[in-house]
Amino acid sequence: MMMRNDSHNRAEEYQTGTDLSDMRQGAVSSVERSANQPSKRAAKDRENVALGRGFAVVLRLIWKRGEGKFALTVMTSWVAISLISLFWTPQSLWKTDGYQVWAKPSATQWLGTDGIGADVFSWLMAGARTDLFIAVASVIFAGILGVLLISIMVSRNSALSNGSVVAVDALISIPTILIALILAVPMGASVMVVVLACGIGYGLNLARVARPEALLAANSDYVGSALSYGASGFSVMLHHILPNVMPTVMVQLSLSAGTAVLAESGLTYLGIGVPSGVPSWGHSLATSVKLIDVYPLSALWPGLIVTIVAVALNIFGDVLRDTTDPSSNPELRRS
Amino acid sequence: MSVDVKRLGVCINGKPIVRDIDLHISDGERVGLIGSSGSGKSMISKALLGLLPTNAQVSGSAMVGGIQVVEASEPVLASLRGRYVGTVFQNPASSLNPVLSVGKQIELPLKLHYDLDKVDRQARVARMLEKVGLDATIAKKYPSELSGGQQQRVGIATALITSPRLIIADEPTTALDSITQRRIVDLLVELVDKAGASMLFITHDFSVLSCATTRCYVLECGQIADSGQTAALLADPQANSTRKLVDAAHELTLQRK
Amino acid sequence: MRFIVRRFLLFVAALFVISVVIFAALRILPGDAPSVMAGLNAPPERVAMLRSQMGLDRPLAVQYSSWIDGLLHGDFGISLLTGRPIGSMVAARCSVTFPLIVLGLIVAIAIGLTFGVMAVLTTRPALRSGFHLLGLIGGAIPALWGGLLLILLFGRGTGLLGVLPSQGFPETGWDSFRTAFASLVLPALTVGVISGASLMRYTRSALGDIMHSGYIDQAMACGYTRRAAALKVGLRLTMPQLVSVVGLMFASMITGVMVVENLFALPGIGTGLVTDLGNRDLIAVQSELFMLAAFFLFIGFLVDLLHRFLDPRLRYAVQERA
Repeated sequence: MMMRNDSHNRAEEYQTGTDLSDMRQGAVSSVERSANQPSKRAAKDRENVALGRGFAVVLRLIWKRGEGKFALTVMTSWVAISLISLFWTPQSLWKTDGYQVWAKPSATQWLGTDGIGADVFSWLMAGARTDLFIAVASVIFAGILGVLLISIMVSRNSALSNGSVVAVDALISIPTILIALILAVPMGASVMVVVLACGIGYGLNLARVARPEALLAANSDYVGSALSYGASGFSVMLHHILPNVMPTVMVQLSLSAGTAVLAESGLTYLGIGVPSGVPSWGHSLATSVKLIDVYPLSALWPGLIVTIVAVALNIFGDVLRDTTDPSSNPELRRS
Repeated sequence: MSVDVKRLGVCINGKPIVRDIDLHISDGERVGLIGSSGSGKSMISKALLGLLPTNAQVSGSAMVGGIQVVEASEPVLASLRGRYVGTVFQNPASSLNPVLSVGKQIELPLKLHYDLDKVDRQARVARMLEKVGLDATIAKKYPSELSGGQQQRVGIATALITSPRLIIADEPTTALDSITQRRIVDLLVELVDKAGASMLFITHDFSVLSCATTRCYVLECGQIADSGQTAALLADPQANSTRKLVDAAHELTLQRK
Repeated sequence: MRFIVRRFLLFVAALFVISVVIFAALRILPGDAPSVMAGLNAPPERVAMLRSQMGLDRPLAVQYSSWIDGLLHGDFGISLLTGRPIGSMVAARCSVTFPLIVLGLIVAIAIGLTFGVMAVLTTRPALRSGFHLLGLIGGAIPALWGGLLLILLFGRGTGLLGVLPSQGFPETGWDSFRTAFASLVLPALTVGVISGASLMRYTRSALGDIMHSGYIDQAMACGYTRRAAALKVGLRLTMPQLVSVVGLMFASMITGVMVVENLFALPGIGTGLVTDLGNRDLIAVQSELFMLAAFFLFIGFLVDLLHRFLDPRLRYAVQERA
């Protein structure tokens, strides 16, 4: 019911021939491209430039909105702090002091110390990089899995496509944590458990969310015409179907990144996520929880950071959705 | 029921869509509102019905049967809609409630405005179905099981079930093929005339307008560009926009006859 | 009818697949379960003993078929650690977890629908952004932290208001109904508010889209006010979608449920699984994982049926194709 019937809109986009190659490239131009072998490389370069420009335009559009500024600022600081923490933290992570447990914030220990006397602030800084790795890795994994599943779902082999659709429909109801638990039994607690579980869970979700759009593109006239020109299934997928689902994929993945950070804290607390000794926000949160009765404020910071980062990624996804919709964004067309 | 619109303007998020609209419909008169797509026709009908999106601002005056609808409260507008003003929409497939059977759909305005028992309501629905040329068994079906023409007949039945004094038909034939178009327009005109109601017929197609209305207004870029007897405008278009629309109609349909 | 049969067959097939996956995960994936279970630096004899105790020295096919055979007869195996039948262990834990999930869902649906509808209907920009912010932040709170904040606010002993129990579940279970219920209030609120915020965002966007559709114009043209049209027509039309979302919410809520069970020391499925995993009780973990998976696959099955039932267009679309 909610599937917007925007095939008409899209047809219009292609006809107006505006340089949309940044996000959704025109079918017409790529058909010409494949017919024109010698200029293929030049076209490829053009496409890359256009892609880069489209990316810049989207970022600029996001920055223009108040919420977008917040999201981009948080995400940039996250990356920056992760990088810095690789070389420098205010205190060494492994410097513990049995006489200085649960210390109050001070000039040397900005947020105090935890139960074994390690510096809370330094651990939070270092936790940023683990969570960044988890978010990025699980998003990449989910992206690959999702796109793979989408390709199978819209493939012309009906047994394959029907099979994958029902498989995804059935497996989607398996929660991420269950996947993590299944993986954790042989693997033990590890970062990879979080990455794999999130990747599988979000990949399935991505396939399900993006399927209607992919189908719409797969059944469209321009795909039909590309096939009649003799384009291979793979090239049609790459040039005609993927560009159409890309905005949805990007939006879903940025929402998934937020969920991955949340999942990390939960899984780590349950003992099947990041192993002890590896800094992560979930780890900081879990250690501070144990003494909540005595030092309630110690749990404030890691929870706050996780919430802020998850909010930022959600906002980023929302704004991305608004800005990558060319029908609502004339600027994206003109560029 | 008469409609009197004076200097009506609609802005959405501060951006003007239509402005300075003066429009009059007398009792029992069938009046057309024609314009190319994007000229703001639907905004005018929505303003008359109080169906504008919440981010719209309306200025000027619009009297519908002696009620100032521009400043009217939501309950007042709701009591007007479906009771005194019936509406037929452009695309029945995306306006008829998909989870309601046809019978319940047509019954709805009666249910909302009149205190009738169920048997009485169903009898009226059956009579209405007959009037719009549909079989009584269709009442149990869902809109998605009907053809486009049948769906639009259901739309007309829903609009007319309470014998409203004004019908607003917002491009009622655009979603249909040309033969069905003609039948639906004829049906609408016949029923409206029989009831003695007034009608505002909105379209972008002069060939449809010529059989549906006696007088019409031409809308361009949110303003009234021309008005007069439909036949006269069609025979000798003066204003630029009128000529364009008339030419288009000739090219597409009239010439072929 | 054909759809129900087909979907049910899919459910059974998925059950089979997941049972193989769980079985394989515990045996074939890199990492040797007995040595992980025995812990680091365990003597090889202990690993070997564990291996034979778990039946891992038998051929894989025999292991798998005896496990499935047991499952089909309602025999989920015997816990390696406690020697108690796993079936009854899980049943006891369910008596905590199920009410918690149901309460959480009630809170989530109440919050999600009420605020979602209000967010769509309000015309005040300030209120609109307020709801927007609420949905964003509420859905981004880690369950662990949310539970913690609630304990700090309402928990007995530690909380500022100190009105509700924040640790444990009565030994006597639901026989002491009031205490049992009270101990579930904060955990249910935690998961309910977090899921409710996400549901609110879905409701807001789905209902918001519907409100711009011709269906609402038609309903209003029949004489509904905008509010009545949203409640009587809009909500009904978003129902199929919302049912799917609630179904998925079930799956996402369970992480939160497991976390709050541990946080609030409730003897439920989540706590049990973590304990069994910690005790390296492979047989129990295997059966528990399977039961959880079966439960969620069944929920998925139900949701799909309900979705189909709620949308007559889908029913006919399928008939036409068939």
